[in-house]
Amino acid sequence: MIPQGFTYSKPNSLPEAMDLLAKDDVKLLAGGMSLIPMMKLRLATPEHLIDLGAISELNSISENLGNLHIGALTTHDTLANSSLIQEKSPLLAETASHIGDIQVRNMGTIGGSTAHADPAADYPASLCALDAQIKLVRKDSQRVVLASEFFIDALTTVLEPDEIITEIIVPVENPKTGTSYKKLRQPASGFAIVGIATRLQLSDGIVSLARIGVTGLGPNGFRATEAENALQNTAATDADINKAITFLDGGVEVNSDIHASSNYRSHVARIYTTRAIKTALARIAC
Amino acid sequence: MVLHGDTATVQHGVGTFGSRNTAVGGTALVLALQELKEKIERYGAMLLDSNDVVYSNGICTCNKTGKTVELSEISGASYNANTLPPQTQPGLVSTNYWEPPNYAFPFGAHLIVSEVDRDTGEIEIKKYLAVDDCGKVINPLMVEGQVHGGVAQGLGQALYEQVVYDQTGQLITGEYMDYAIPKASMMPHIQTDRTETPSPVNPLGVKGIGEAGTIAASPAIVNSVVDALSPFGVRHIDMPLTPEKVWKLVQEGGK
Repeated sequence: MIPQGFTYSKPNSLPEAMDLLAKDDVKLLAGGMSLIPMMKLRLATPEHLIDLGAISELNSISENLGNLHIGALTTHDTLANSSLIQEKSPLLAETASHIGDIQVRNMGTIGGSTAHADPAADYPASLCALDAQIKLVRKDSQRVVLASEFFIDALTTVLEPDEIITEIIVPVENPKTGTSYKKLRQPASGFAIVGIATRLQLSDGIVSLARIGVTGLGPNGFRATEAENALQNTAATDADINKAITFLDGGVEVNSDIHASSNYRSHVARIYTTRAIKTALARIAC
Repeated sequence: MVLHGDTATVQHGVGTFGSRNTAVGGTALVLALQELKEKIERYGAMLLDSNDVVYSNGICTCNKTGKTVELSEISGASYNANTLPPQTQPGLVSTNYWEPPNYAFPFGAHLIVSEVDRDTGEIEIKKYLAVDDCGKVINPLMVEGQVHGGVAQGLGQALYEQVVYDQTGQLITGEYMDYAIPKASMMPHIQTDRTETPSPVNPLGVKGIGEAGTIAASPAIVNSVVDALSPFGVRHIDMPLTPEKVWKLVQEGGK
């Protein structure tokens, strides 16, 4: 279908984009992998479209004080295949490699996907497990929000209409951390029926850091803190893991659709969490 | 030059159903070409003043004298209505039709090794062997491509494709975000082989191949999964074999 009419502008700098953002009924366009289909279906009918594609400062990756600063316009393909990301944030690289198909990965961006906040998107699980910080910039100020506090409902985040996501900040992983992203794909769209990201550290065989990020299960990606707490300070035996996964859904209302009932989704999420925990443990460098 | 499937260039046609293109259209083509060859030889005989000529590779040769005449010259002569061979129409043109006396029966067997994840119901096809007999093979690459395409369609039916309406009658699988078809990355490796048993019902000995994969893949996949799940008492699964459906059957012991 054909979208409703809109104005289109392509600013060259962030301040220019901020000025344009002051209008009513504006949407920011990054890779367009979700927004354009939604506009074609007229689920989104913005009057003004601001294409961020020419703002080069949004398209960079840098390392600073133990963190990676990933520009919002970095594509999934770059994250999946960059040797820097593979080495310093293997969880993010692994997650990006699971997104959609190669065409989507070539166009879609981490900032666009994060702002869109699809309940079945892959990043929310990993960003939550990574304690990622999302940098939001407005005309005269900026703030940083933890991923686990950024996603608040389906397609809903704490991003304000006058804010732009400029970068996602994730820790440089040390070899003592093991991570894994496991996903059951919805066969038509490639989105996650459920996706589980795990991030674990051991200290003398005891779990000293446990992070479990979940996507696809509820209205938004979240950290399964109760399950993390159950795993923390254990030896991560099968019994420990089996106990931890019972707390996985953290009371969310589990999604149900033609691809998976809520009952099956909950079950698969627990299975995938078990596997993601075991894979992460196996990946911890001895 | 061969023109494909354009209603602007074909006076009448009924379609390519039933994997019939080569067996029916191909036979009409061969008959037309045979007629054309005879016509060329009649013109060649006239030009070489002989009744013992043979046409091959663009040249008509008199078997007695060894004299030759090229197709371009024959073609020119064929439009000179002053001197035509007896009972021969001008022009190197031939039209032919073929009504098959009986069906051509391709056959084959597809063998699948599949693995089912008992915890999630996910299916992985570990091995796919397709042995088909479409009679005389004209283009091996095209035959293999037809098998691959057919298997993809059959696999889609077996594992993914379903039309779903909600309670209000709204189609909820109306786009490819919800209606799953297999992409290249979702296809198993397909190992193909063939036997060649010529069909007796057409002069080429050819049989159809386009639907071999679609016919074999779906039951072969379902049978392999049912076999894998037989220890759980599973005897039957309705397509498509979604992970949830398979998982439930494992849980319920086939009930």
